[in-house]
Amino acid sequence: MNYFVKGNPDLCIGCRTCMIGCVVAHEGKHIFEVDPDSYTFAPRLHMVKTARLSVPVQCKQCENPACMAACAAGAIYQEDHRVLIREEKCIGCKACMDACPFGAIDLKIVTGMTQADGSEKKTANKCDVCHNIPGGPACVRVCPTQALRLVTEEELNDDAQKKRMEAARKASLALSAQNQDENRKV
Amino acid sequence: MSMGIPEIEDADCLLCFGYNGADSHPIVARRIVRGKQKGMKIICVDPRVTETARISDIHMQLKGGSNLALVNAMAHVIWEEGLTDDAFIKEHTKGFDEFLKVIEKYTPEYAETISHVPAETIRKAARMYATGKPAMILYGMGVCQFSQAVDVVKGLANLALMTGNFGGPSMGIGPVRGQNNVQGACDMGALPNSYPGYQSVTDPQIQEKFEKAWGVPLSSEVGCPITHVPHRILHEKDEKKKIHAYYIFGEDPAQSDPDLAEVREALDKCDFVIMQDIYMNKTGLHADVILPASAWGENEGIYSSADRGFQRVRQAVKPAGNVKPDWQIIAEISTAMGYPMEYKNTEEIWNELIDLCPSFQGATYEKIEKFGGIQWPCRDKSMEDRGTPYLHKDGIFATKDHKALFYGTDWHPPVEMENDEYPMSLSTVREVGHYSVRTMTGNCRMLRNLEDEPGWVQMNPDDCKRLNLKKGELVKILSRRGYCITRCLPTERVKPGATYMTYQWWVGACNELTDSYLDPISNTPEYKYCACRVEKIEDQEWAERHVQELYADIKTRMGIDKGKGDRS
Amino acid sequence: MKKELGSFVIGDSTRCTGCKACEVACFAVHQKNQTNQKNQTAGSRSGRTVGTITAPVAPRLFLTRFEQGCMPVQCKHCEDAPCLNVCTKNALIRIDHQIVVDPEKCIGCKDCMQACHFGAVALLPEASDSKTPVLKTVAVKCDLCQGRAEGPACVQVCPHQALRLVNPEAEQEDKRVKAANALFLTRGKGGQDS
Repeated sequence: MNYFVKGNPDLCIGCRTCMIGCVVAHEGKHIFEVDPDSYTFAPRLHMVKTARLSVPVQCKQCENPACMAACAAGAIYQEDHRVLIREEKCIGCKACMDACPFGAIDLKIVTGMTQADGSEKKTANKCDVCHNIPGGPACVRVCPTQALRLVTEEELNDDAQKKRMEAARKASLALSAQNQDENRKV
Repeated sequence: MSMGIPEIEDADCLLCFGYNGADSHPIVARRIVRGKQKGMKIICVDPRVTETARISDIHMQLKGGSNLALVNAMAHVIWEEGLTDDAFIKEHTKGFDEFLKVIEKYTPEYAETISHVPAETIRKAARMYATGKPAMILYGMGVCQFSQAVDVVKGLANLALMTGNFGGPSMGIGPVRGQNNVQGACDMGALPNSYPGYQSVTDPQIQEKFEKAWGVPLSSEVGCPITHVPHRILHEKDEKKKIHAYYIFGEDPAQSDPDLAEVREALDKCDFVIMQDIYMNKTGLHADVILPASAWGENEGIYSSADRGFQRVRQAVKPAGNVKPDWQIIAEISTAMGYPMEYKNTEEIWNELIDLCPSFQGATYEKIEKFGGIQWPCRDKSMEDRGTPYLHKDGIFATKDHKALFYGTDWHPPVEMENDEYPMSLSTVREVGHYSVRTMTGNCRMLRNLEDEPGWVQMNPDDCKRLNLKKGELVKILSRRGYCITRCLPTERVKPGATYMTYQWWVGACNELTDSYLDPISNTPEYKYCACRVEKIEDQEWAERHVQELYADIKTRMGIDKGKGDRS
Repeated sequence: MKKELGSFVIGDSTRCTGCKACEVACFAVHQKNQTNQKNQTAGSRSGRTVGTITAPVAPRLFLTRFEQGCMPVQCKHCEDAPCLNVCTKNALIRIDHQIVVDPEKCIGCKDCMQACHFGAVALLPEASDSKTPVLKTVAVKCDLCQGRAEGPACVQVCPHQALRLVNPEAEQEDKRVKAANALFLTRGKGGQDS
């Protein structure tokens, strides 16, 4: 199963530290030293604020990814418990962007590369659960309120198992309450 | 603050009044979130849906400028429903009967007509606050930046007094201060009416003590508050009171003060302006002399946090070039002016200071280092006195008879109300990421990547629809005093008729619009309320270009380059 | 906000019945545009009424039958467009985020056809009608009916709403709000994901 990072709106204060953490993790610390125009600020998660919600939204690393199905260039693949983009194959057709129901993919500018007409080269951009980045997902690490966490297969299964056990307990309690009720009537 | 910041999460009930922690102090907001997780009940009073409002049990989305009506109505309910702590009132307070006479007319129904908060919600909130123990009040600039500010602070203190919420942990009232180390600036006597340690300049004994310690005659008169400076430069008739020289450090009045047109005129007409800061800012454009200062991380010394905690700050990097720390600059200027100041380090200054301030006397460097911080009052230098996490222990207050005083006042509306020409209200607010006047954060590339000029005006989607405005569109916003250009942000988090702008943007400078009317006691301007009008700009391409030109022009005048990598 | 990405039309195979109304509409629009630009010849009214089409129907989208059904396929106006990148004559240009062919520059080398991942570029004779001699064979592709006030004709005429104009940026916000709501509903009790 793929792993994914999940935001919790009860804990999120909308500060967007996660977005900065994401960019720094993927670009590397040298971005603090280079010309500010020479890197792309393209966070792979996005703060959503509605009337009553604040929470970062990012890729769910679907098991049957619609983005991957839509990609005609073969640029999206699954590996190492996640859905990844092979940027060099991407042609920027936006089919993945349209296919993703979560708005988790967008296109980023590839700095220093241009298309034949001189315009900036763009490529699909999404959360890769900080693939090959030491310490795991940066957003989880930098959040001041621990509003983000990495969800793994074991956890998700354990959690479902707990819920099933709780459901079974409740059902059996209900049954014994019914029985007592009937006994009383008798 | 009467409590310590770590105590916030252990309150049973939090009344969060005009305080938007998530945007102003994310690290304090963390305590509020954690408190909520521990089961703390939250009442949020704010005209916008803030992050705290989102997780609150009761959100009173009041109309701006109705604070005191709502506070008095809560007191009214607490009294009417017999939820007062009578023993505490009897033993530790004075003036309760007079206070009752003031709040008598503030029924929730009457307050509803002013605040637009349903009477039943006010009742529920008053009950929740009065029955929670310990109950804590946090307030911010949504209380202080009104022409009726000090009255509301006293009103909130009344609530805490009548419910006995003083003298223990996780209770009392907490002003969560607006700026980094603003508590420290006040503690150190950077106020017109006090020496360090809140010792009055009008007290002859205190005056004598400082004259003896410093070896110079000192004035017994209260000085000039910053918000009076433009007037004292431009309109003062008495030549002796007229200000001719203005030394500004760590402050950007040409960005942060109300009615910027007037501020600029004052700075230009002032004979001599010195600016001392870590980066170029708007005030610097009007200065005769600029003194480059070193930043936090390049400095060492003591900061005070909002909860009276002295903390050691250490130097992490050496300042570039010949930049000096503030204390050295001050010492050199003083020496040049004929009063030699010779200090070897900050500890020497600190030791002189604490020996002159009884309530700081025990806060030695040694203890601050050892315990990670000391909250004043700390009167004894022995290692046993570890300071005071919360004030007024056992209901003993800092008055002569140790009793607290109830202080009731009537509500009055803000000075400039909406009218036909300017039909909407404007309040200045904060946004997380860009701190204060952007002197620091506007120079941080990551934060600039998140948000840059000309900023946003938050408006209700209905207002946007009426004015035919879309998200991100550039708009013109005007008041009697001036105008600026900013981007429209439709959001359901604000009510119709109200607009909100953050005050740090150079191009979208909302203080071009704000009113310089002051609270009579605190001299704080009414940043949170003035009348304005929003206008659509038809030619968006022109407007985008215009904003870029304005931004580029300011940067050129300030001599700003892009940073490393650009200079070569 | 400023538009950064190009829009495109996408087909829906679950709705498409293969009626080819889209192809006809596409042809009609582009045929008209062409004849309007040139001299008003006898053929200038072609395509407006049934039976007047004399030229071969040459649409810029392609009703495509495949194993699971059918749907129209057309250009995505890629942001790192292989057709544009491959063209040695710079005959593919980007106008307002849309990729269009400049027939004056096109020499018919077919590189763009081969580069395109979607088969969205075709090579067609550029002619107003069959009576005029074929002047030139050039690449043609979807241009989202540039300049047409009602938007793309294919979307407008489809009787089954099987075509949709995608503005990828505009849709992100709605999708993300839905995703945020989902996070709220799955957040677990007491702030702990359970």
